[in-house]
Amino acid sequence: MKERSNAKHVAFKKFDRWRRSLLRVLMCVREAPTIPNATERTDSGCGMLLSPGFRSAAAMAGWDEEALLLATVVVEDTPVRESRQHKRRRLRTPLSTTSTRKRALRRKPAVSIPPVVLRLDDDDDEEQAADRGGETTNKETEAVVAVDGAKQIDKEGSLSEKAPIKRFPCMDRLREELSCAICLEICFEPSTTSCGHSFCIKCLKSAANKCGKRCPKCRQLISNARSCTINTVLWNTIQLLFPEEVEARKRSSAVAATPPGGKTQSSSSEQNNSNTNISSRSIRRSAAQASSQVTERDTRSFRRRIGPSQSEDAAMALRLQREEFRMAFQGSREQQLRALRSARANLRAAASMTVYGRLRDRTT
Amino acid sequence: MSSTSTGSLPPGAGRGGGAIGGGGVGGVGGRGWLSATSVSSSGKRIKKEMLELNANPPADCSAGPKGDNLYHWVSTIIGPQGTPYEDGIFFLDIVFPCDYPFKPPKVTFKTRIYHGNVDSAGNLNLDILKDGWSPAMTISKVLLTIRSIITNPDPYNPEISSIAQLYLRDRAKHDEIAAEWTRRFAR
Repeated sequence: MKERSNAKHVAFKKFDRWRRSLLRVLMCVREAPTIPNATERTDSGCGMLLSPGFRSAAAMAGWDEEALLLATVVVEDTPVRESRQHKRRRLRTPLSTTSTRKRALRRKPAVSIPPVVLRLDDDDDEEQAADRGGETTNKETEAVVAVDGAKQIDKEGSLSEKAPIKRFPCMDRLREELSCAICLEICFEPSTTSCGHSFCIKCLKSAANKCGKRCPKCRQLISNARSCTINTVLWNTIQLLFPEEVEARKRSSAVAATPPGGKTQSSSSEQNNSNTNISSRSIRRSAAQASSQVTERDTRSFRRRIGPSQSEDAAMALRLQREEFRMAFQGSREQQLRALRSARANLRAAASMTVYGRLRDRTT
Repeated sequence: MSSTSTGSLPPGAGRGGGAIGGGGVGGVGGRGWLSATSVSSSGKRIKKEMLELNANPPADCSAGPKGDNLYHWVSTIIGPQGTPYEDGIFFLDIVFPCDYPFKPPKVTFKTRIYHGNVDSAGNLNLDILKDGWSPAMTISKVLLTIRSIITNPDPYNPEISSIAQLYLRDRAKHDEIAAEWTRRFAR
């Protein structure tokens, strides 16, 4: 028993360290200004980032090679734009509901078992410091060097920047400044008008639809209210300054985003829906082994809301898995084993489901 | 704690919408289940405004929900010093539409007032409550605007033209009548 939990701790330590290195590397990759194509960046990132450390940790957590590969395949053909946005969001806020499956996979342990990670975080820091002093073949430094030696300064700079951010004296003023005048909350995915005023992109769009194409603040004409883009600098700043608010908003918007009915769907996608319905039921059956109320509720809502888009599917599957993992590391050892087994099965089922769906989409 | 509250938000908001329907706010008939999300976002915004108003209310003004219906407020404006409306307490009714920040609230005087821009039913002729509305406006800004139009009537866009003409031709008489009305109705 003890042995096992120790092994688990080690696995999570590894995972956590890996996660951090991933964050740093991603940051460096993101900041590289010369590479124009975002897919290139992610691809190069992927090959490098699936480190042996990650693999072994994943194996400890019960994901086999196949599941990992499937997950990679699933993510590879996400739209460029979206993946870039996701990456940015991911960097700032660890918790997220809308995500592609691979990132979800990687992040899961850190996200779904907060107590364990928290406890490890403390002694991990010391360990890392010791590691850094002792051996040079640290995974982290290796990864960073692999990207670009010069970038390391950048990284250090941004890290040291991060520390004082949490305690600004003028936080209230900032909150006021960074609020959207329409919803009066912290701007969520802000978009800046040609006259220089920023609002949540959703608020701005509905304002343009309902009140005409004028800036809500200064009434200047907005030429491109429908094709407005997110002001990334501002958005990143907001995410850095108000992670809790952004997170809360993200969560609530993810819940609200599931439409009540798929009436606008065509017949072919309806067929697709019924298909997903079946597989989700089978997922449910295997999850029922674990006999947790939480999972049951979640799965039921999963079925109820079985909706039109695949990203929604993915989000649901992610939530389901999260629940399962949380459960897995709460109960006794037997429960854990059983839950892990079912979680693994579900993961595989979900991955294959999506792959199948994508193949179908391509052929039709 | 926070996760459960946000998680249960849409159904809660839906129920809130139903309660509003029961409360009998004007123009409820058009609101179906489809607008449930917009109801919740407007409710959120109205709540925020309420908190903000309680924290720092504008001068001589106060406002808050009438009962437990968030979309129906009552407000008071105290007649500004140096005007014939001085020391009068004017009650106003505010009704928020379900797509609130995008459509203006309906504001009416409940207390009678002798004013060229307010008709006998209490309706205001105010640009920002009609076409000039912008979703970036808040109730506190609206109240401040109303207060300033009480102080400085706009006789060129009148609701009652006779009062406006009197205001232009014989200011003293206008002020006298206004003060008389204020004594009679607003105290």
